[in-house]
Amino acid sequence: MNDQQKVNILMVDDQPAKLLSYEVILKELDENLLKAHSGREALDQLLKNEIAVVLMDVSMPELDGFELADMIRQHPRFQKTAIIFISAIHLTDLDQLKAYQRGAVDYISVPIVPELLRAKVSVFADLHRKTRQMENLNRDLRSLSARLISMQDEERRRIARDLHDSVGQLVASLSMNNGLALLEAEKLTVTARNALHQNTEIVQQLSKEIRTISHLLHPPLLDEIGLLAAIKLFAGGFTERSDVQVSVELSPEIGRLAPHVEISIFRIVQECLTNVYRHSGSKTASIKMWPSDERVLMLQVSDQGKGIPRERSVAMSLGASRSVGLSGMRERARELGGSLEIQSSENGTTVTAVFPVASPAVVGA
Amino acid sequence: MHTRFLIVDDSDLVRQGLRTVLQANPEWEVSAEAANGSDAVERFKESHPNVVILDFQMPGINGIETARRMMEIAPAVPIILFTQHASAELEKHALEAGIRKVVSKTDAFPMVGIIEALLGPGASPASLERPSEAGPRNSRNDR
Repeated sequence: MNDQQKVNILMVDDQPAKLLSYEVILKELDENLLKAHSGREALDQLLKNEIAVVLMDVSMPELDGFELADMIRQHPRFQKTAIIFISAIHLTDLDQLKAYQRGAVDYISVPIVPELLRAKVSVFADLHRKTRQMENLNRDLRSLSARLISMQDEERRRIARDLHDSVGQLVASLSMNNGLALLEAEKLTVTARNALHQNTEIVQQLSKEIRTISHLLHPPLLDEIGLLAAIKLFAGGFTERSDVQVSVELSPEIGRLAPHVEISIFRIVQECLTNVYRHSGSKTASIKMWPSDERVLMLQVSDQGKGIPRERSVAMSLGASRSVGLSGMRERARELGGSLEIQSSENGTTVTAVFPVASPAVVGA
Repeated sequence: MHTRFLIVDDSDLVRQGLRTVLQANPEWEVSAEAANGSDAVERFKESHPNVVILDFQMPGINGIETARRMMEIAPAVPIILFTQHASAELEKHALEAGIRKVVSKTDAFPMVGIIEALLGPGASPASLERPSEAGPRNSRNDR
């Protein structure tokens, strides 16, 4: 998208001669000039094309400029469309105020000074162009971010799988061999016997560490059994590791969801609990998930800790937070077509997320 | 009393270790093996084992689903889930599917004790099996 993409300027007048005169003046701006001779034509153009600015006379014989502006403003899509009013009559300040109240963003009086008209139109044309650019960049950024998150999930799943299939099986084998050796312990010296006994403990420890790493990488029960089981298992493990008591209330009506939905919801829960551990100082937390109707799932994770400090909370609400975890959570919710809100006070913090689900979340009896 | 095992795990190494551990008991024989759930169900139908030891995470259907299918064929045969992911949560789902016990992969020797308890002093192979719906029983034909 280059900087000089043309934008559409809509000129409205019921007299073709006037339209021609505007065209002559605006031609050198090198944008797309569109014409409309009536209110209906104007609205038609607005619906068909993306219009950067509308130019119209306040008092046209057949058409009331103010009325047309009202009609345009009624459409939610066009509430911010720039409208420049041209007026032949010397309007008092009160009338100008009326014009602004009707949603005009600018105002030019007759006789039109060509340079002035060009200047005013190009301000709004440039604004529109830059806004469109920014929207494109935003969209690209979001898309990249979603892809990165999804690749990260995939990679973690793969590593957890590898841990299970190679390292884990080797440890299992080691354990069995050690046990077999211990069967003949009485043939060994005390030193050898003790070494094997110690091996048994080491292997147990090895197995436990691998399990922990694997669980943090990718929830083991998620793919095979589902989100509810994975969350319960994670909450239990989290309590063991952190000493934070977690209560879990997951509506049993919730059935299997699409894999990418389940992993995202899980990761949000994981991130929330990690934040509880790292920042809140809370000794308790709760996870609640329930369908608010057939196609909407609600998730709420709360703690009873000291809350988010005001400066951080303000930064977060302005979108200026540098927290990767938080933007990750928001992005995940957005990618699923949902939303995520954080409420915090000195009595605790609550994260609430809403997810639309493509297939009914509620499983029949 | 002669006891025949079906062991299921996608790792050759684990099956090898398990075979050695189980066959340390002269009365116990690993008569069939499988590396995934669907093959396991086939072996189960053909070989009429007295005990099944299943991995949980395998390519294709998982251990719990495999156990469910076996329970539909011969529900009296005890099935044990032998897994790296042993947990109370997993156990809940395993028991619902008819699995008798979930054992951690580093607890192969304690598992031997569990199997002995499941087999019980008074049980004989006949009482552990019900006729398969597929056809006449031939468990007497010990290989």
